[in-house]
Amino acid sequence: MEREPQPPGEVARIAPETDSALVARTLAGDRAAFGVLVERYAASVRRVARAVLGDPDDADDAAQDGILAALVKLRHYDPGRPFGPWLMRVVANAATDRRRRRRVRHTEQLDPGLVAGGTTPDVETDRRALGRRLREALAQLPERRRLAVVLFDVEGYSHAEIGRTLGLPEGTVRSEVFHARRALRALLEDWKEEA
Amino acid sequence: MTRDTTPFDHRPDPVLGSALREALAADNDAAFVARVLAQAGRPAEAHWDVLAAWARAGIAAAAVAALIAGILVGRGMSAASSTPTASVDELLAAAAGPSGALVTSPQPPDASVLLVSAEER
Repeated sequence: MEREPQPPGEVARIAPETDSALVARTLAGDRAAFGVLVERYAASVRRVARAVLGDPDDADDAAQDGILAALVKLRHYDPGRPFGPWLMRVVANAATDRRRRRRVRHTEQLDPGLVAGGTTPDVETDRRALGRRLREALAQLPERRRLAVVLFDVEGYSHAEIGRTLGLPEGTVRSEVFHARRALRALLEDWKEEA
Repeated sequence: MTRDTTPFDHRPDPVLGSALREALAADNDAAFVARVLAQAGRPAEAHWDVLAAWARAGIAAAAVAALIAGILVGRGMSAASSTPTASVDELLAAAAGPSGALVTSPQPPDASVLLVSAEER
């Protein structure tokens, strides 16, 4: 993709400085520029890490690890390529490493709506329930399938970019996205019927 | 929500994307950013490759300066030690006389010469 990537789907903001310019400034020792990059991609990297790990705290730790790893490796970043997919790859690797390292544990948090004893409005309760159901469904998918669908449908990257990010052929990415969507949609349909 | 009829559909699904976005969203991005930046700024963490590179350059410059200083000091010492000094031959020549001849002669000394030399001292 030729465009200078902003986090796809994020609320448009006035950010005239391109990612490459910010990277160059960061390499020149400008910490403020690095701060802008972190701010720009914070939501995306947190979502990607959560898609891998499930647990939000683990995901934030992994996202932080990934961002700091990206800072260390910043000299190896090719400014001729979009920054977003490169960063996502580093973060996804950090999340995968963390998942491999962590001991098996179950930290699924209680739904605040359930804890609140029904004081949450029904719509909010439904929304939370859907979110929980989706996370559970995502967790059942193979990792690369999970990442592929999140990077494509949530973060808005192209199949080619996702292929470079995950080290997969573009056709494989298309297939993974397709299968992930099919599984998630089936789950959503069931959920709708139950609701 | 649109349904794929082919795996080669290259259009993002906005409905599924939105639902997933909400499901994966985390609270308080600002706090997360602050946390990451604080961690990056910790001196003990070698995250700032640029600064680390500067440190390496500084060490290299200091090493070069030390090398140059060492060369200059070495030259100074060399210049001081290069002042004309008498060679061994010159010293022996200056010691001309019975004792000098005694030292430089390849032949065993005669006893009378030794006595003369002793009397001279």
